[in-house]
Amino acid sequence: MIQRWLGTVCATVLMGLTGPGSPAQAAESLPGVVVFTTGGTIQSKGAHRQKLSEYSDGRVTPLELLADLPELSEIARVEVREVSNLGSGNMTTELQLKLAKGINEALSRPDVAGAVVTHGTGTLEETAYFLHLVVRSEKPVVVVGAMRPWSAISRDGPLNLYNAVRTAVTPEAVGKGVFVLLDDTIHSARWVTKGNTTRVETFVSREIGPLGYADADKVVFYRTPLTRHTAKSEFDVSTLTNLPPVDVVYGYQEASAEPLKALVTAGAAGIVLADGSPAVTQALLGAVSKGVAVVQSDRKGSGRVLLSERQAGRGVVTADSLNAQKARILLRVALTKTKEPRELQRIFNEY
Amino acid sequence: MSLERTMNRRSALRQALLGGAVLAGIGRSVRGQEIPKVLPPGLNLPRVMLVSMGGTIASKATSRMNLNNYGGPGNRVAPQDWVDALPELALVARVTPDDQRAPEDVAGRSAGGMTTAHIRKVTARVQELVNDPTVDGVVVTHGTNTMAETAWFMNLAVNTRKPIVFVGSQRPWSGLSGDGPLNLFNAVRVAATPSAEGMGVLHVMNQNINAARDVMKMSAYRVEAFRSPDLGILGVVDPDRVVFHTAPLRRHTHASEFHLAGLPEALPAVEILYGYTDAPGYLLDAMVSNGAKGVVIDGTGAGALAGGQSEAVKRAQEKGVIVVATTRTRSGRVQDTPRRRESSIVPGDNFQPEKARMLLQMALAKGADLNGVRRVFEQY
Repeated sequence: MIQRWLGTVCATVLMGLTGPGSPAQAAESLPGVVVFTTGGTIQSKGAHRQKLSEYSDGRVTPLELLADLPELSEIARVEVREVSNLGSGNMTTELQLKLAKGINEALSRPDVAGAVVTHGTGTLEETAYFLHLVVRSEKPVVVVGAMRPWSAISRDGPLNLYNAVRTAVTPEAVGKGVFVLLDDTIHSARWVTKGNTTRVETFVSREIGPLGYADADKVVFYRTPLTRHTAKSEFDVSTLTNLPPVDVVYGYQEASAEPLKALVTAGAAGIVLADGSPAVTQALLGAVSKGVAVVQSDRKGSGRVLLSERQAGRGVVTADSLNAQKARILLRVALTKTKEPRELQRIFNEY
Repeated sequence: MSLERTMNRRSALRQALLGGAVLAGIGRSVRGQEIPKVLPPGLNLPRVMLVSMGGTIASKATSRMNLNNYGGPGNRVAPQDWVDALPELALVARVTPDDQRAPEDVAGRSAGGMTTAHIRKVTARVQELVNDPTVDGVVVTHGTNTMAETAWFMNLAVNTRKPIVFVGSQRPWSGLSGDGPLNLFNAVRVAATPSAEGMGVLHVMNQNINAARDVMKMSAYRVEAFRSPDLGILGVVDPDRVVFHTAPLRRHTHASEFHLAGLPEALPAVEILYGYTDAPGYLLDAMVSNGAKGVVIDGTGAGALAGGQSEAVKRAQEKGVIVVATTRTRSGRVQDTPRRRESSIVPGDNFQPEKARMLLQMALAKGADLNGVRRVFEQY
């Protein structure tokens, strides 16, 4: 099944054999990197160089993306596989599963050192965290995007992509899970979130900070993540074609219980609360009693939701430091294994 | 039951205790002296040594509104006073106070702050404590202004995997809404936590766990003063659990080559020079003529020299002085660029200059040449 979709990808190029300044013999000894393209701003074109928003005037193909970066041939043998060419708002579970299976297949090859994924930045952290949970390899996976379209003045995409490939072939990157790399900064997929609508330094890991940096002189790691991920994960999506439906309910003053009730009626397997309200708290008891898994996250953007005897007594799982969109990803993956609140809480404590 | 299984069981119980059971006990008990019910009788709580090097946390005043002019004769707090005021400590550890304040500190006549001589004395004492098999962890209190330096010194000089946790406070022990008691309680919790082992010297204030290498004081008075600007925290001390998110990768404590026993009596002199527009070269000349064997230049931007510093660096290098470049931006690495390499200037990575100074002192004390210093700054 994996072979079939890989067979339909649009292009496979060996950049190393054609790149300038790199002898063919040396190219063969370079580490292999498979770049999976899904789209996003990094593959977007605007009508003018100064068009920094509403730039949906065309798409950059994977071949164009790599042809524009001949320097890659000096550091890696790059293959490319197109998964999609969409903005991050159009990412789907089906595409994420395809991507994960494709990465697992690629990383099982001895000639491949790591993988890079291009992605729109809006939901990039969700796909990155999904891969952090389901990639079954110690090899580095680097998710990369851009804040300015490929056509723009001072576009950030090329350097981000170059640094992503560099990091994917860095030996110190092995065993540290999935990374998000923009703006020279290497974040763990576990904590990173998009923190600004438009700036190039948008990705932050709040108070926990990055794992390292891809500086011009070298790629440096200062920290390694301690939560479970990738090769040490218990999750396996190799036979899955979908994931249980989980949605997010936002909390605010006098938030109505109706969205939560509607989700239960629609058949939600799980619900993640980004904060709450008295009405929502009341309604969640009904959801739990119907067998819906409920996870308490928070809208503040940093800090843990603490373990709570009160919440445990209600059968509610607390999300640790996962924001609502990432708690949703973990809950979907966890629900493939268990519905039991105590076991779900163990998973939220460990991942 | 085998010894290994006994130890695993003990470790698991400690983890259970520190990982969730404690909050329930404290929540229910106003005095906080009851051991939570989940604990089996006879459990040996971890033993934590509470070493006082003084600080604001060891200071008081006659008015609780005095938040900036405390201390002095008669206004010092002894470590036993902390233990007496915090019976909740008995829930998480068997705490033994160990007063390592300088005599002038105890008398309230301390002037001029911490000295290397005193840091070395306390470092030797901490090494002695962690060598004791009955000790599980050490907490060290310290004034906040230079505590990150002393913590960094021990991060290099103490040979152990046991947790060493630095703690202080921004408000005096007597201050209204003093942060000292919770900081101290949390520091003891971390020192008693098995997952804190092998993490190097830690800093705990304001419910955050920072690494000695990266943490710095970034606000004069706020309780959230301590941050690791380039890297962030290692973990948190929340009411429910002590959680480590990441582990440091650079060499420290048990993996350091600079343990106190192998250091000479006096470390080579290393001074710090600040970078700014028109910075003159004669300050560096003066450092060298006064015996500096190394100089850390806290340069502008990416670690650049300014004004007359470039020429002065050449004069200093001719006399064998090693020059390390850090950046006054307090975030970002000073890179190993070809031009910097040609100038024989060692890139100071993302170190604060006061920590680069101590590292350079230790490297020079061990006889490191330019390449040796370069290696040390890449590994620590």
